[in-house]
Amino acid sequence: MPRGWWTRRSNYFWYIVREFTSLPLALWLLWFLVEIRRAQDGPSGYHPHSSLGFVIFSVIVLLFALYHSVTFLSLAGAILHFNVADRPIPSQLIVLSQFAAWAAASVVVGFVLIYFAR
Amino acid sequence: MTATKRITIKATRFDPDKDEKPRLQTYEIPFSDDSMVVLDALNYIKGHVDGSLSYRWSCRMGICGSCGMMVDGVPKLTCNAFLRDYWPRPITVEPLNNFPVIRDLVIDMDDFMHKLKAIKPWVIRKQPVPLGGGAFVQTTAQIDEFRQFSQCINCMLCYAACPVYGLNNEFLGPAAIALARRYNVDSRDEGPGQRLPVLADAEGVWECSFVGECSVVCPKGVDPAKAIQQTKLDTTMRFVLPFGNRD
Repeated sequence: MPRGWWTRRSNYFWYIVREFTSLPLALWLLWFLVEIRRAQDGPSGYHPHSSLGFVIFSVIVLLFALYHSVTFLSLAGAILHFNVADRPIPSQLIVLSQFAAWAAASVVVGFVLIYFAR
Repeated sequence: MTATKRITIKATRFDPDKDEKPRLQTYEIPFSDDSMVVLDALNYIKGHVDGSLSYRWSCRMGICGSCGMMVDGVPKLTCNAFLRDYWPRPITVEPLNNFPVIRDLVIDMDDFMHKLKAIKPWVIRKQPVPLGGGAFVQTTAQIDEFRQFSQCINCMLCYAACPVYGLNNEFLGPAAIALARRYNVDSRDEGPGQRLPVLADAEGVWECSFVGECSVVCPKGVDPAKAIQQTKLDTTMRFVLPFGNRD
């Protein structure tokens, strides 16, 4: 394979972008573990990391996470295969159900975090 | 009287006995008919300009799968790539990516043939049914399970489009897995357990990272990427579920 093969076709490029997004996401999650470790002594001694650089990094990672999630869930229609009454469920419906489950899970997690943070 | 249009074809030339590496040779040929395809252009060159140009072809109607080449960097059946879609630009015709080149536009397909054989692309029965034993009856829904995967014509365009295969040619590859899926989901087949060691191998379905380009370039509308992902799910279920490996 020639160097730079991934620049030759748009599908290759967006595939590499999709794969690359997991790297900063992993770094952010590692940092999140560090924050949990720092918070173990309770709220009195904990000061969250809130430098401008970290906020910008977090926003970028959020965009990457959204892109990765959307591309991943959009592919679910090709992966999952169910029959109901001997008829396959349309892939669009499977994709829609994945996005609905994602939205529901986000609401639940958001509620738990906000409720217990008060 | 209107003058016949002309079109420029740049074709890869490579003679392993003489050349160190492939080179492009330019031919200018008449483009006399809008129904002309790239394969017609190659046939014109071979018949009228340079008889030494080597390439594979057979049916000229998108069935045999032997005329696959890179046309302007995209894997295509040359019998299905119309000159009118490229004219007046020159067209570059190269051998399929990711395969060793034997000569000019002819690739060595041995690797694919070995992989094809490894997935046992035929209906496997534990107990052979005698010819007098009656027909295997299948419903339309059962046929629909494997119909699209059975359209594969082994043209290998998907291998040329797959960067994973390009980076690691030990990868079983899209067409072989799509054909394994074709038989694994066939209600007459009892051989998924025999195909499992090849499919679930590290160089089997798990090597695929879902680029998806295999399905984009397939000239027959097969979706090998789908076959691979569904096989990943199947192999996982066979591993995780109780009695999953029981056939």
